Amino acid sequence: MSVLAAEWIKFRTLRSSWWALGIGVLVSLALTVLGAATVIGRWDPARTSDQAAMGIVVAVYVGVVLAQLPLGMLGTMTIAGEHASGMIDTTFVAMPSRVRVLLAKAAVLGGAAVGASLLISVPGYLFGRFVAAAYRPSLLPAGAWTVIAGGTLMIVVTTLLGLALGALLRNGAVATAVLMAIVLVLPALVVNLPWGEQVSRLLPAYPALQLIEQVPDIMPDWAAFAVLAAWGVLPLLLAAARYAVQARR
Amino acid sequence: MIEVTGLTKRFGRTLAVDDLSFTVAPGRITGFLGPNGAGKTTTMRVLLGLDAPTAGRATVHGLPYRELSRPLTRVGALLDATAVQGGRTAEQHLWWLARSNGLPRSRIGGLLGLVGLDHAGGRRIGGFSLGMKQRLGLAAALLGDPEVLVLDEPGNGLDPEGIRWLRGLLKSLAAEGRTVLVSSHLMSEMAVTADQLIVLAGGRLRADAALGELVRPGRSLEEAFMDVIGRSAS
Ligand SMILES: Nc1ncnc2c1ncn2[C@@H]1O[C@H](COP(=O)(O)OP(=O)(O)O)[C@@H](O)[C@H]1O
Ligand SMILES: [Mg+2]
Repeated sequence: MSVLAAEWIKFRTLRSSWWALGIGVLVSLALTVLGAATVIGRWDPARTSDQAAMGIVVAVYVGVVLAQLPLGMLGTMTIAGEHASGMIDTTFVAMPSRVRVLLAKAAVLGGAAVGASLLISVPGYLFGRFVAAAYRPSLLPAGAWTVIAGGTLMIVVTTLLGLALGALLRNGAVATAVLMAIVLVLPALVVNLPWGEQVSRLLPAYPALQLIEQVPDIMPDWAAFAVLAAWGVLPLLLAAARYAVQARR
Repeated sequence: MIEVTGLTKRFGRTLAVDDLSFTVAPGRITGFLGPNGAGKTTTMRVLLGLDAPTAGRATVHGLPYRELSRPLTRVGALLDATAVQGGRTAEQHLWWLARSNGLPRSRIGGLLGLVGLDHAGGRRIGGFSLGMKQRLGLAAALLGDPEVLVLDEPGNGLDPEGIRWLRGLLKSLAAEGRTVLVSSHLMSEMAVTADQLIVLAGGRLRADAALGELVRPGRSLEEAFMDVIGRSAS
C-alpha cells in the first residue's frame, strides 16, 4: 500500500500529469460536444428512445478515443522520465521491489485513465441528452454497456501500453513513437494488405473501434475485449519480468 | 554494520570491482577512497541492491539490501544527487520518499532545516544548484533516521563552508553510533573527515586501516595514498 501511495504522490506532484490529463479531457470533450451536436442534428425523426440513447453513448466514446494519445504519452513519460533523470535509482532504493513499483504505477495510471474517460463521457452524455431531448432518449440501453466498457478499456489499455513501452525502452520519445505506431499507424496501414483483416483483429485499434461501434463487427465482442485487454496486460508483464530478472543480474 | 565479501562486479569486459572484502563498523566515519573509476560507486550500487554482483555478496545489518523491510529506516543512501526529477519541489520529493516507507510527513520540515534548505522547501528542484541537490540528497538519506549511511561523494558541489558543515554533520552522525560509509576521490578531505580508510584502486582493495596508521608525521595522506596504490599495483 505504501508503494501505491508513494507512486500516487509522485504522479500528482508533477505538473506534466495534469497537463496531459487536462489537454486530453478538454480536447476530447470539445470534439465530443461538436460531434454529438452535428450527428444528432441529422438523425431520422423516427428514432426510438433506445436508439437515441445508444447514439449519444456512441458519439461520446468517439471523444474518448482522442484522449488515448495524451494519456498514452503520460504512461510512457511516467517511467521513462525516471529512467532519463536517474531518479529510478532513488525509487528502487526506497522501494526495492521493482515489480511492485511498476504495478503501483500501472494502478495509478489506470485510475487516471478511468478518471479521464469519466470526465469526458459523463458531461458528454449529459450534453447529448440535452441536444437530443426531442427523441426522449432512454437511460442506458443494454448495448450501451459494451460501448462504455470497450471505450474505457481502450483508454486504460493505451495508457498501460505506454507505461510498458516506457519501461522496456526507457526513452520517452522512442516509446511514444512505438506507441503511436501500434495504436495508430500500423492499424491504418495493414487494412490495405492482403491479410489485413486478420492482422487488424490482433492489433488494439480494430477491436476497440468495434466495441465502440465505429466499424463493422469482424469478431465476437468477447474476442475484441480479450485482444484489447491483452495489449494492456502482456507488455506490462514483459516489462515486469525484465525488472525482476535485472534485479538478479 | 556493512559487510562486503569477495565482491566482484563485471560490466562486459570491464572489471569494475575485483574480489573486494571489507566491513564497516558503527560509531566512526569510514572513508571510501580511490581515484575516479576505482569502483566506489559500483560497490555502493551493489550494496544498495541497484546492481547485482557478478560474484560475492554485500550485506547491511546481515541482509542483502533488497530483503530489508522499510529500507529507508535501516539505511540512508545518497548516490547521484542530480538524479532527481526537477519538476517537484524539495518538500514533494521528500514527501513521496517518506510515504514509500511509512514515515510521517512531519519529519520533512525539520530535515530541510537540518540540511540548510529551510527556505527552499517549496521551490522546484530543477532550479537547485548542485550543492542544494546534495543537501536535499542528505535530507533524503536521513529521512528514516537510519543506523547506516552510505554516501557517494556527498561533498561534490558544496562550497568550502558547505564542506565544513558536511564534515560536522558526518562526525555527529558517527558520534551517535551510526555506521557511516562515505566515498571520496579527494584525499585532503578524507584526511580531516574519516577515522577509518578503505582505499580502492582498479576495483581492488589497497588498504583498510585507521587514518593514524596511514598518516604519520612527515607523511601526508596523499603520499600514503600514492604509496598504497603504487605499491600494490606493481
Ligand atoms: N553501468 C556501467 N557499464 C559499464 N561500465 C561501468 C558501469 N558503471 C561503472 N562502469 C565502469 O566501472 C569502473 C568503476 O566505476 P565506478 O564504480 O563508477 O568508479 P568510481 O565511483 O570509483 O569513480 C569504471 O571503469 C567504469 O567505467
Ligand atoms: Mg563514483
